[in-house]
Parts: sequence; structure tokens; C-alpha cells
Amino acid sequence: MKAPRIPMEELMGSGHLACQGCGATQAMRFALKALGPKTALTIPACCWAVIDGSFPHSCIELPIFHTAFETAAVVAAGIKVGLEMRGDSETTVMAWAGDGGTYDIGLQALSGVAERNDDIIYVCYDNEAYMNTGIQRSSSTPVGAWTTTTPVDNYKKEPKKNMIDIMAAHSIPYIATCSVAWPEDVIAKFRKAKEIKGTRYIHIFTPCPTGWKFAPELSIQMARRAVTSHVFPVLEITEHGQKIEVWKDFEPTSVRDYFKPQGRFKHLTDEEIEGLERDVEQKWRRLLAKEKMMASIPGME
Amino acid sequence: MVKKIEFESYKEMPIRPMTLGSMMWNLTGSWRNVRPLYDFKTSPCILGCPTNENIQRYIYLVTEGRYEEAWKTIIESNPMPAVTGRVCFHPCMTKCTRKDYDEAVDINAIERSLGDMGLENGGWMEKSKAVKKEKVAVAGSGPAGLSCAFYLARQGYPVTLFERDKALGGVLRWGIPEYRLSNELLDRVIKQILDSGPVEVKAGVSVGTDVSMDQLEKKYDAVFLGLGLMSSRGLGMDGEDEDGIEPGLDFLRKVNSGERVDPGAKVVVVGGGNTAMDVARCALRAGSEVTVAYRRTRNEMPAIAEEIEEAEKEGVAFHFLAAPKELVRRGGKLVRVIFQKMELGEPDDSGRRRPVPVEGETIEMEVDRLFTAIGEQADLEGIESTVETDWDLIKTSDETGATSNPKIFAGGDVVTGAASVVEAIAAGRKAAERIGRMFAGEPEPEVEEPKTVGIEDMNTDYFTRSKRNLVPRISASEAKTGFSEIKTGYTREQLASEAERCFSCGVCNFCDNCWVYCPDVAIARHEDEYEFLYDYCKGCLICVFECPCNAISIREEGK
Amino acid sequence: MKKVIMGNHAVSYGVRASEVKVISAYPITPQTHVVELLSEMCANGEIDAKFIKVESEHSAMAACVGASAAGSRAFTATSAQGLLLMHEMLHWAVGARLPIVLANINRAVGPPWSIWTDQNDSLSQRDVGWLQIYCESNQETQDTVPQAFKIAEELQMPVMLVMDAFFLSHTYEIVDMIEKEQVREFLPPYKPDIKIDTADQHSFGNLAGPDHYMELRYMIQKAMDRGLDVIKRVDSEFEEMFGRGYGLIEPYRCDDAETILVTSGTVASTTRVVIDELRDEGVRVGSLKIRVFRPFPIEDVFEVLSKAKKVAVIDRNISFGAHGIFYQEIKSALYGRTDIPIIGYIAGLGGRDITPKVIREIADKAIGDEQPERYINWIGVKI
Repeated sequence: MKAPRIPMEELMGSGHLACQGCGATQAMRFALKALGPKTALTIPACCWAVIDGSFPHSCIELPIFHTAFETAAVVAAGIKVGLEMRGDSETTVMAWAGDGGTYDIGLQALSGVAERNDDIIYVCYDNEAYMNTGIQRSSSTPVGAWTTTTPVDNYKKEPKKNMIDIMAAHSIPYIATCSVAWPEDVIAKFRKAKEIKGTRYIHIFTPCPTGWKFAPELSIQMARRAVTSHVFPVLEITEHGQKIEVWKDFEPTSVRDYFKPQGRFKHLTDEEIEGLERDVEQKWRRLLAKEKMMASIPGME
Repeated sequence: MVKKIEFESYKEMPIRPMTLGSMMWNLTGSWRNVRPLYDFKTSPCILGCPTNENIQRYIYLVTEGRYEEAWKTIIESNPMPAVTGRVCFHPCMTKCTRKDYDEAVDINAIERSLGDMGLENGGWMEKSKAVKKEKVAVAGSGPAGLSCAFYLARQGYPVTLFERDKALGGVLRWGIPEYRLSNELLDRVIKQILDSGPVEVKAGVSVGTDVSMDQLEKKYDAVFLGLGLMSSRGLGMDGEDEDGIEPGLDFLRKVNSGERVDPGAKVVVVGGGNTAMDVARCALRAGSEVTVAYRRTRNEMPAIAEEIEEAEKEGVAFHFLAAPKELVRRGGKLVRVIFQKMELGEPDDSGRRRPVPVEGETIEMEVDRLFTAIGEQADLEGIESTVETDWDLIKTSDETGATSNPKIFAGGDVVTGAASVVEAIAAGRKAAERIGRMFAGEPEPEVEEPKTVGIEDMNTDYFTRSKRNLVPRISASEAKTGFSEIKTGYTREQLASEAERCFSCGVCNFCDNCWVYCPDVAIARHEDEYEFLYDYCKGCLICVFECPCNAISIREEGK
Repeated sequence: MKKVIMGNHAVSYGVRASEVKVISAYPITPQTHVVELLSEMCANGEIDAKFIKVESEHSAMAACVGASAAGSRAFTATSAQGLLLMHEMLHWAVGARLPIVLANINRAVGPPWSIWTDQNDSLSQRDVGWLQIYCESNQETQDTVPQAFKIAEELQMPVMLVMDAFFLSHTYEIVDMIEKEQVREFLPPYKPDIKIDTADQHSFGNLAGPDHYMELRYMIQKAMDRGLDVIKRVDSEFEEMFGRGYGLIEPYRCDDAETILVTSGTVASTTRVVIDELRDEGVRVGSLKIRVFRPFPIEDVFEVLSKAKKVAVIDRNISFGAHGIFYQEIKSALYGRTDIPIIGYIAGLGGRDITPKVIREIADKAIGDEQPERYINWIGVKI
């Protein structure tokens, strides 16, 4: 057989409590393969608080501290400093939070950590709603989507919050987005992040068959289509927020194709989808324009 | 089995809410109602190949740089990839799934590269010894005979190979021009085959005349007839035995044996098959102005498309929907041929539209020499009496070459009529296998209808459109001036790049997708295979969907 | 060495002597001096600690939780709204069994805004599972910091040190300074067996079903139960080494007292003055300072109070709809074991001064009340 595409080492084991086809679980597996055994995690309230396993069992062969919903970033910072002060400066500390814990309830603590440039990797695994509590809207839920708190008759009208810009505004050394459809890219970004000091923010797109109402076997397909339809751009922001590199080397697909298998978008009319397609394309163009503009600033060429 | 940790008393518990063991006790396989399973299908190319070369496998091995194994994979079903890699009409490529995506993989070119490597690396060929007592006579050293001799020898049966010519190779030697398959290369191929096992050669001995079938049947435990087709079929016209008319095969035989030929200024070749193309291009190289006249259209031509294109590029003219009607001589010398103009009517048995004459319309062509290349005939002298025949061909009961005589087997053109090298190779191999089973007293295996896949079964998200790597070749203007081999073959880089284009239809090519994407870590990656860990597989079926090759199927639990 | 320092700085010096490794805090009046001095100490190397300057008290406690879980000695200080914002993480520290020490400067809770002292902030955290020690003087405050860490680390439980805003936090007193070299013998470096450690992996805080949750809570209660002995022992060890001890409670002239005033914090000092006054007048009164509120020293309190004829509890706090909180605790400590009357007085909320005069008024009322009709008596409210 060929050399394995991703490291063989498994720090996440079987028997965990994730739903069938869980993207968040794939994300964890890839991240841990990249970071290796000298890693400690903190996980706030989110799907992963359950996936990990029930006391006294864990599916992850690493130290994990489960923490309160809004504290992932700062608990990670505390752990990092705590480890350093007892002589362990080698361990990578990673906060692993969902979109609720990142965009919403945990934003304040995350902002604090980012502003202080505390030495942690913060990961937002984005499944675009409060999935663990049963699919309620978060500020990451995309416009047009159904959730249990944005019912079909009043589906979400507000666009997804631009978390990446918020993080970039903190001038942290490394920001990356990635999708579980490209494991090598995910792993490369975690490895890169591992070598950087300071606050590193990785935003990983993790489809949720249960919450988005699609067949679990399409999980990776959704993770791929989100990117190729420009709904979820894959990018890196380095130089403390000054340099953006957007991944464009793929054959674009339509937003409609991405929406189609997902029950959460089923209620949308053709006109509504067209409108959303235009929004997506406009945002994509803005992003590319920004990339270009940033690169053209004297000193950044 | 990992056990769930349970506590009888708080005293056994840690004071902190902390974990003491893994979740592996939790057998999430019970969540599943459908299970994925590795279920390899047969790639369409393999089904397209008359000798069922395991094309997917050897191309995969090429992608891994495992050339020796790749070559050996071919050798399992074809002892002369260096030959087929040059002259095969590659029906595999017609079946290639990739043709429905962008362009078929150039399997033929890959095969040639491997074939050449096999010749350069003499050590790759395993040697076999005569370990069995049954002896077999093989008549004819063309592709069928060589193939049969090779696969018999590999099984350990001593073989005596009879060839009526002095040199071995049959049609490969005298029927295919040097620019497609050089005698020098053919010699190496034949030597490699003969050296590999217990094959005794009797050249210059014609079976049926020099040695009788009776003698063979007495001396040998089985006889394989791979006699090929020895003579061109006639036009059935008045005066065709007179001046100016020559069977195409005779001409090719002269050219291939290095004889000087002078076909004259204007040559017409009648026919649309590979022989016609070979004759036309050889005549061109002898300095003639050549026109191919064919009674149907280009679409119906049985010749390999590439051969037609090359002939055209080199300057051969084509005249379609024209059948020779009358030969005009002046002073005994052929000067003109009158052709009947044809049109296409209803399809015939071959599925091609039948040409029918357009009454009253004819075409005239000036001509010094007319070559016939409309088909070939077998020479069954001394043989007809021992096996049942059909027209001038030997009749067989199935593709293993069994004839009406239980000791006699046959294969290749002498059974099928003018067909292809690869079909002859397949026939020789299948007969060798059949003979082996007969000696061993084994029953004929039951053949299951193979499951295959098409483009709709593939996950094309994993493929990017790419052009076929063109095989380097000398220019048409250079080609027509001599007999140098036209195609020079892939570089290693081109070979690797072309092999990467293979979709590996229906067969795992170890892309890792199933293993990588499994959210439940329920696939074990072993040295040479993956394994589903059904204790933990939740049945999400991502592996099935993400398998680019459709190598994983689904089965409902409890069924 | 003796120094005149403010109460807040007594906390800081206690932290320095305890060789805390991680400090995380958010400034709030009247706690600010604590963290300002600690920032300075961290900056100038007087203390080998990292100070995480967080954006909120919630994060301050969260950072301490992380650091403590990672195996480092962690400290924070706060007050009032800050403590309330921490509430969720106070629970977390207990559930995770983390020996964090927190200094809370008692300040009244808004609205209306008030920066002055009362105990409603810390007492509304009564049930989270933190040990609570109420300090009376700057000396006690300083000394209680290393004691708190020692207790916390032995029990694997967090400890809250509580002191009055301004009356203590901003008041300068003479303090016999303790230094880390000495304290190290009393309080060795924190080296927990179980911690976040890649060489010994555990996942902390995983979802526990009904099968396990109760046992984990039972063990927290057991730690609290054991706490009383541990606090006493630690205190006597401290006393042996430094010549100062504070006990769980501090009775004053209670031996033959007919009426005992129960107090906490700085009110205890003022009360002792009034007790002396009354004793001079021949009145048999005494006072009992409750130093350790959680775990509540039921037996010690019963031992002292059961000999009296009447108990008056002065509460600088109120559990709305019920009574003063110390009052409730005393009452439940004595319930069924004695039928002496226990009278509750609410005084000094929002920093209103509890002067000797106020205490005298309470004492007079208590002594005079033959059959108290109300268990809740408001002192000094303008009616």
C-alpha cells in the first residue's frame, strides 16, 4: 500500500457518542493527528462535550478539560500558563469549541484571549447551529436556514456572522479556515498553527447530518460543496491580520447543488435561492478584492 | 474487549470527575442498519480486453512505481505486452470509463512501456520447468501458438512448437510492418517466451504436410492448432490472377522479409482492415502513390483508427463507397480499375451497414498495381480430416478452443477468421488452461457474470479533467520515408502521469478515502488492505459515497 | 518584620508568601489594590507567577480553573458583581475539585450602585461548595492566604477568603509580615498527583449519568466534613510556626455569658469593645466570631452557644424573604439541641457603619427582649 495520506496515529478512538456521519468528529480526528500526543484540550458545552464519552470514559487519549460554555478560550489560556508554570512549556493547548461557544456565548473570552495573544490554538468547529441542544439557531447559522428556533415560516433572515473578520481584527498571528473534505489541508494548517506562538484561530467547517437534515453519507460531499460553491471560503490570514490568502484552485459548483440535499434549505423558493446565490457570489468577490487590496498595500507585496 | 468501568461504591471512584478508560466498550456497530463492505467489481477495461488483462491492477502498480509487479500482472494473461502494446486495437480503451469523463486512459501505451521494461529486465520473467509428463504439440508460432505454448510451459507441460516458416512469429513477423513492430523486437519477445520454459521449437515444419496430424496425436497428449490465416481472399473477379493484381499479404511478406519491392507508380489497395493499411503504408514507403478503396465508409473500417489517421497523414488517399467491378488491361498490363459506387443500406450481422451498389454509377482509377486486402484464408491441408471445420475455419465449441477431437484444440485466426493479435493470445492462453485442466482432471470452472461499473458509479469529485498523454512519435513526413518505428513510447514521467489518470473502476486503489473520512475510526488500515471494524461502524456510509472507485457496496443488516 | 499595610495589600503579601504561580483577575473596587500590587510583584520578579489579565471575572475564574487543573497554584481576587459574574465558574472549581483561592472583598450588590461593604455577595455563593473564611484583621487576612492554600490543596477544594470592603480592605494596620522562605515549610509547592498531563491522560468533567453524579457530590460533602478538622490542624500548624492562630470560631468572654452576640468580619472587633464595656457594667455578655462559614462549624458553635441563655446574631446581609444568613445558620446549628432564643439583627448593609453604639443598641435590645417576637430585626433603618 502507498504511504498513508494522513498520519496513522489515532488519538481519537472508536465507541464515541457522535451521530452517524458527524463532521465534527472527523475534524477532531484530523486535528489530533496533526498535533500529536503532546496536546491538551479544553472543550466547552458543545456536541463534543457529549461525543467524548461518558464518565469515566473518554474516546480521546489526551488530557481534556471539559469546561463551561463561554470559557473555552480562557480556560485554555489558563491551562497553558498553568502548564508552563509547572515546567511544561512543550504541550500545545487547544480550545475546541462549536460555533455557539465561539460566535455567541464564548466570544467575549475568545476576544480577551486573542487580544492578549495568549499562547493557544482556538478551534471553532462550525456546524452552524446549536446542535447539541437540538438544532437552535446560532449567529453562525446561514441566512435562509431552518432551525428549531427559526422555523420554516420564519427561517433565519440574518446572514452568518463574519467570525473570520472579527478574529482578524484582533491581529493574531494565524487564522485559517478549512473543511473536513480536505483532510491534508486541515492537518497542514494544524501543523502550521502548532509551530506558531500566540493565539491561533482555526475555523473548521463540519457538516451535521442531524441538524442540516441530509443523509449521513453526504457529510463530506457537503463539506466539499460548501467550499466549491464559495459558501465557505478556505483561507489563511497571516502577518497578524495583514495578509489574506484565499484558496481558489477548484472547480466551482453551484450554491443550489450545495443546498439541495439539505432539509434545512428545503423550504426556499427558486427566487430565494437565486438571491442567496447572488449574496454568496458577492461576498466571494469582496473577499477576493480584499485579498488583492491587502496584498497591494506598500510593504505587503 | 475493553470493558465498561463500573463502580460498586464511591470509594472506588476518583474524587474528581475524571476518566479512567476508553470508550471502546461502547460497540456503536449496534447503531447500524446497513453495512458497508469492500466489494471489488471488474473494471470495464478488463472486460473489454479479450485476454482480460488485469489492467486496473497493473496501472495501479505503475502509480506505485512497482513496475516489475505490474509487468508480471500482464504476463498472467498476455506473454507479449511489448507486442500488444504496439499493435493491439485496444478494445479496453473503448470501454475505459474515463472516456465518459474526458479521454480514455492510454492503456495501450502503458502496456507498451511495461512490455519494453520486461524485455530490458530479463530477470523479471520467471522460469518454468517440465514437471508434468503430458506433452503438447503446438502448431503455429503466431500469437495464438506462442501464447498457448507459454501458458502450457508455465504449468510445467513440455511443449513442442511447430512452425512452417524458418522464423517464428507467424503474422507478427510477416503480417505487421517494421514501423509498427520490428523484427528485432519480435525476436526478443519470442526469445523471452521460449527461454522461460520447456518449449522445443521445430521450425520449417508444416503441420498437416511435413508432419501428419496422426503422428502428432500419437506422440503428444494434446495438440493445439494456432495456424492463422495464410492467404489473402480473392476478389472473385475476372482476371484477378493476371498481371497487376497481388494479394496484400504476399506483398507484406516480401516487405517484412526485406525483399526489394516495386509496386509501381499508382497503387490501389482494396479493403478497410489493418492489412489494407499496412499494405498501403508499405507501398507508400516503396515510393508509390497509394489509394485505399473501401466499399463502406470510414466509420465502418475495421482498421484501428490510429492506423487510418497515420496512413492519411503520411499521404495515403482514401476512396470510400467503392467496390472493384472491372479490371481494365492494356496489352496485358493493368491500367485501370472501374469501381462500382456503393451506398450504405441496412445493417448486416456485424451491425455495420451493408454496402449496396448505386446502379449505374462507377468510378475509374488509373492503377499500376492493385493489392487485395479484403480478408485472409486458412490453409487446412492435412488437417480437415481430423477436426470439424466450418467454411475454411476450424470449428470450436467454446472459447477454450475445444474441437470435435478431444485431443485437439484450436485458437486464433484459424478459428475466428481475421481477428486480432490479442484475441489470438487470449485463445492460446485459454486453450492452455483448458488443456491443463484436462490433464489434471479438473472440471471446467463456472464463470459468474462479472459486476462492473460505469461513470455514474464513480465519485468524480476526486478526478480532475486532464488530457491523455500523447505517445511521442516521429513525424509523418519522416515516418513515410522508412521503416523506423513510428511511436517511440512514453518517458517514465509520461507513464506515471498517464497511469495516474486511471479511475481504478470498481477496485480499491488504496486512496485512503474510506479510512481517512471514517468518523468512527471503524476502518483498519493494514499493510495491503482495509478492514471494516463492524463493532464500531455506525453505518454512516460516508466511505461508500466517498470511494472514488465504487469499490465498496452496501448490505442491509440481517439480510 | 512588621509593616503598616492596608488590608488589600495584606492579601497580596499573603499571595506572595504562598508562591502562587498563576494569578488571573479583573479589577473591581474595592479589590483593585490587591491586583495592582500583585501585577507589580509579577512584573518586578518578587513573585514567580504569571498574571493573566482577563476581560472579566468570569474569565478570571475560568483562567484559574484552567491553571489549577494544569497543576499550578492559582489565585484570584474580586468583589460583589465580579463574584456574582464568577458564580458559574465557582461551581466549576468545586465540581472539578480545584484548590483555587479567591479573596473576596465584601461589597454590596447593585443596583443601586454601591461600593461599600456588606456580605450579600459572598453569602449568596454559600451553596456553591467553596470553603469560606471571614477575616477580621489585616494580620489575619495575610495569614489566612497560605492557610487557605494549604487547606484547599489538602481537600482538593477551593477556598474563599472574605473581608470587608474599606473597613478592612482600605484600612492600614500593623502586620507581622510572613515571607515565602518561612511559608514554604508550612506550605510546600503544589504538586498534585492528578492534573492535566500528557503523560497521564484523563478527561475531566465528562458527562456523568445519574449513576455517578450523586457519588461525586457525596465526596464533595465528605471533603467539607473533613474540612473542619483540616482547617483546625492547619491553623495550629501555622500557629506553631508563626505564633498566630485563628480557629474556626473565636469566642470572647463567653464562658459565663448569658447573652452572646454572634458576629463576623470587622464587626467582631467593634463588638469586643462593646462587650468589654458591658462587662464593666456587670452585664454577662460575650461575643462569638464566626471565622469559618463553610464548612459551618456546628459543633464548635453549639459548644459555645449552648451555655448561654440568649443568642443575638448580627447579620451584615439578608436573605430576602427569610432572615439574616448567619442567623439561619446559627439557628439550624442549634435546632433541636437547645431552646434558647436566637434573635437576628440586620445591620450595616451597603457600608452603613456598625459603630459601638449600634452594637450596644443591638445588645441592649437582645438582653431586654424577654420573648422576642420577631426573628428579624432591622437596626438603624429610617422608618
